[in-house]
Amino acid sequence: MKISYNWLKDFVDINIAPQELAKKLTSAGMEVEEIIYQNEHLHDVVVGKILKIEKHPQADRLVVCQVDIGSEVTQIITAATNVFEGALVPVSLPGADLVNGIKIQKSKMRGVESCGMFCSGEELGIDENYFEGAGVNGILILPNDFKPGTPIDKALLLDDVILDVGITPNRADCMSIIGIAREVCALLNQKMKVVNYSYDIDIYAKDTVRNYVNVDVKTPNCFRYMAAAITDVKIERSPLWMRARLNAVGIKPINTMVDITNYVLIEMGQPLHAFDQENIGGSQIVVRQAKAGEKVEALNHSQYELNENIMVIADQNKPMVIAGVIGGPESGINDKTKICVLESAVFDLKSIRTTSRAIGVRTDSSARFEKGVNVANAELGIARALHLVSLLKCGKVVRGIIDIASKKNEARKIVGSIKKINQILGVEIPSSDMARILNNLGIETKVYGDNLECVVPPYREDIENNNDLAEEIIRLYGYDVYDKIDYTLFENAKITEGKHHPRLIMERAFRNALAEHGYYENISYTLVSLDSDAKMLLNNSDRLVKISNPISDDLACMRTSLMHSLLQNLNYNLSVGNKNIKIFECGRTYLSNGNGKLPQEKNMLGICVNNQNFDFFNLKAIVEDLLNKTSLNYIIERSNEAYLHPGISADIICDGVVVGSFGKIHPIVAKNYDVPQETFYAQLDDDFLASLPEKKIEVKSISKFPIVDRDLAIVVDEAVTTKELVDSIKSACGKLYYDVSLFDIYRSEQLGENKKSMAFNIKLSSIEKTLTDEEINQVMKKILKTLSYKHGAILR
Amino acid sequence: MLNKIRDLVEKTKIELDKIIDLSDLNEIRVKIFGKTGELTNLSKGMRDVPVEDKPKIGAALNEARKSIEEKIKTIEEKFEAAILAKKLEKEKVDITQPSKGIEMGALHPISSVIDKLTDICVSMGFSVVEGPEVESDYYNFEAMNIPKNHPSRDMQDSFFIDENIVLRSQTSAVQAREMEVRKPPFKIVCPGKTYRNESDSTHSPIFHQFEGLVVDENVSMADLKSMLTIMMRRLFGQDTEIRFRPSFFPFTEPSIEVDVSCPNCHGKGCSTCKGTGMLELLGAGIVNPKVLEINGIDSKKYSGFAFGFGLDRTAMILNSISNIRYMYRNDIRFLKQMK
Repeated sequence: MKISYNWLKDFVDINIAPQELAKKLTSAGMEVEEIIYQNEHLHDVVVGKILKIEKHPQADRLVVCQVDIGSEVTQIITAATNVFEGALVPVSLPGADLVNGIKIQKSKMRGVESCGMFCSGEELGIDENYFEGAGVNGILILPNDFKPGTPIDKALLLDDVILDVGITPNRADCMSIIGIAREVCALLNQKMKVVNYSYDIDIYAKDTVRNYVNVDVKTPNCFRYMAAAITDVKIERSPLWMRARLNAVGIKPINTMVDITNYVLIEMGQPLHAFDQENIGGSQIVVRQAKAGEKVEALNHSQYELNENIMVIADQNKPMVIAGVIGGPESGINDKTKICVLESAVFDLKSIRTTSRAIGVRTDSSARFEKGVNVANAELGIARALHLVSLLKCGKVVRGIIDIASKKNEARKIVGSIKKINQILGVEIPSSDMARILNNLGIETKVYGDNLECVVPPYREDIENNNDLAEEIIRLYGYDVYDKIDYTLFENAKITEGKHHPRLIMERAFRNALAEHGYYENISYTLVSLDSDAKMLLNNSDRLVKISNPISDDLACMRTSLMHSLLQNLNYNLSVGNKNIKIFECGRTYLSNGNGKLPQEKNMLGICVNNQNFDFFNLKAIVEDLLNKTSLNYIIERSNEAYLHPGISADIICDGVVVGSFGKIHPIVAKNYDVPQETFYAQLDDDFLASLPEKKIEVKSISKFPIVDRDLAIVVDEAVTTKELVDSIKSACGKLYYDVSLFDIYRSEQLGENKKSMAFNIKLSSIEKTLTDEEINQVMKKILKTLSYKHGAILR
Repeated sequence: MLNKIRDLVEKTKIELDKIIDLSDLNEIRVKIFGKTGELTNLSKGMRDVPVEDKPKIGAALNEARKSIEEKIKTIEEKFEAAILAKKLEKEKVDITQPSKGIEMGALHPISSVIDKLTDICVSMGFSVVEGPEVESDYYNFEAMNIPKNHPSRDMQDSFFIDENIVLRSQTSAVQAREMEVRKPPFKIVCPGKTYRNESDSTHSPIFHQFEGLVVDENVSMADLKSMLTIMMRRLFGQDTEIRFRPSFFPFTEPSIEVDVSCPNCHGKGCSTCKGTGMLELLGAGIVNPKVLEINGIDSKKYSGFAFGFGLDRTAMILNSISNIRYMYRNDIRFLKQMK
């Protein structure tokens, strides 16, 4: 919010420079985001009086002027045609640096010296609304009472400094000059100056406000409605000081009545609305919820169709204003207004917020109402406005103010505890400092023993308990007290046991193992496009978690598989020339559990590889290595996941539950993501794996006799699996089994179609003795016999 | 006899000293110790030695054998050492050739930071918890003292699934869930993804936060300061300092922003901290008693503090990452630098 430094000085004596003030405000939680010097581009510009105008000897279109600039008479050449002898004009002198980028120097124009330039309103950064003549196409002609030599920023009241203050949502009371002034008082240890709420009124007149307007409040969303009437209204330009204030905070001056409502809005934080009394049908104001289908034309020239959720200010017949948000052109002030009805109201912030969002209109008024205006503020606002009417002599205030209030907001008494506040803060702040700070903030405070007895003014609805008091005290006492505190080490606290999250621990082991195997961890956007499911040949379309207000089509729903993220990352990496990609991600997938229910969120691990000489069995090794870190008992079966190659894929199954799948990706998926067909993907259900008991290692005794090994090559049908053969070998070995491994597979024409030769290395060991050749040969014979009987194996 | 033995030893030793090849050594060995070797022959002469001289001559013969053998052994070792040295010299490799066999990958900087922070916090008595990312409006907002239509909702732009379900805009949502089920005293931290409807050069719509909550009796801002000091020092280095500034969050009162001295320039001012020497990193404060009450904790008896901060930014500071877009693009050229 823009705060005028000069305006602040109406309420508090400020004895420090704006930068210093900005620092103090920031340190107290009112962050000053920017300091704007209004006269940044007005230095070396002064009021000048044109004494004499002569034709330029060399140029028809130029004239040579002798100009009184106070300290001296200087010569300026101009092409402007609206200047005349005796005119007062803004003169930019050498050194000036105007807002449009023009830098003024002494120069010669067609051989004649010119020591500056006359300025238009635009070149000073002002328009016709701000100053008469500033909008004309030519030089700004200043009023006769301006003195030559006066710096232009002083003359035109453009010497303000504007602080752009970020107001936090809990401090709606600071969305006004007076609110910030209260903070400044507390910061500078100053008393607030008296605010003038008085206005002239003919107390003997019989005429009262009721003769002009009646008010009926028919909605609970209006907490208070006050109305005053003003006759003999003069709609004209408001005085320069008022225009200067409004201009400084970015509000366009319009006319007396409108400017007064805006002035009070900025100064007091109280939105007002001024009606032309003649346009209030039946002189009756009705505050009510709109009827469905009612329409209203707004000041922004748009027409809005209303509904029951929108509150309006209506007359006998129709809505005039969308309450608290925007007025209409018909009922508002116009140049011919003679009698004005002034509204000062307080509405429910929720109602205004909803309406403002529903119709997409945000105004200075709605911005304040939706943050919360306190009920007591309405009467201060209307009084201040009537004071300004009297001051500007732009109308006669009629006796009486209509005041309909359904809610009261009065000063509240609360009792704080000094001990408790110091306990919250963990530092010792003397009670006298506490009381001083709170009193400076307008919270009348007395110390009785441990008690802080506080009277909280209506505008501080946010102050309710010790924590609130503690914050007020510490932010003004200064957070730098904590700079000296190092370790307190919880003098009062109990010991708690720290525990890691079991799944995160398991995932950390997975991630570290994968990184050691050469894989790079990815973290991807969990928001994806709606078509990603179809691209992966998945069919979750009815379970997608869709965003109702997506930022873009690419981020429209939550992902259903890590595969999408990893294939996109693979595609990206290949496109930028990275090769041999081995990547993985630990993250969630999301499936809807139906409308109104929280979705299922599953923590998964995804692995994706496109690497030379990498095949299904390399992938299997990684998967087995990871699973080996858990206590999972599983079997591997052929997978029928649609996104995987039907012949080169497997499911990891535990008690009938698929805990993971891995394999080569389906060629159609590869095509959909524009990645090579030789891409491998694995995924594991981390939630399931983390739910298993921790892996326990039980060491078996080791034989003291040596291991013997024998190789065995057999020929079998293609259909016979390695697992079948290994299982048979194991059982044939009986007690002497130690290990068996496949070390070669060989196919050739000689072997015949559908045949393969498989070579196993078989390790035998006995716990009781060293095996003799005879014993070994016997076992080998048994193995061969079993393989030939069960699997039709032939010794090769 | 004794002279003969002595002469043989002398002569042999001289011969041995002259040897330049290992094969000559064998020749000498045969010449001395062979079946008709010189020392063998002398030994054979023992038969003719008078009985009384036998021990003396015998001892001399043994002595001679031993001394020649020792000499041969020394020379043999000398030759073998020379041969080995030659062999080793020949096997020399170019040590600047690239390494092979192990090619390491790397962890993502964000998860590395999560690992680091959870370790620090667990050691300080915090338990690590998680919560849903797709969260009810109640837990994300209302239970954190952000009622519907309240101005403080404007502080964040959220993604909605429907009217009552939101992608959590803050990990604080987990605070409420934990307060419901835990009994004080407790300390929890929660790392996780958070979502906001904004995307520009410094904001990603998806980002990571780290949330902490302590509930106990008489927990103070000073405790918060000491705990965060320890945490930030272990994360950024022992000379790290932190500073409090006033702020506002609906779920804490008093609320503060915590600035951390820039680990890059140690407070002197650099591009990481935009010349200020400090980094705005955390939001924190004393848990608003209203939040305790909403979530079933007696605010008269217990108090707490909470803190939260962005992990993306922390990871960027720790690794001097200048571009937030790197974080989610997963370019191997970026991830390789995390080794």
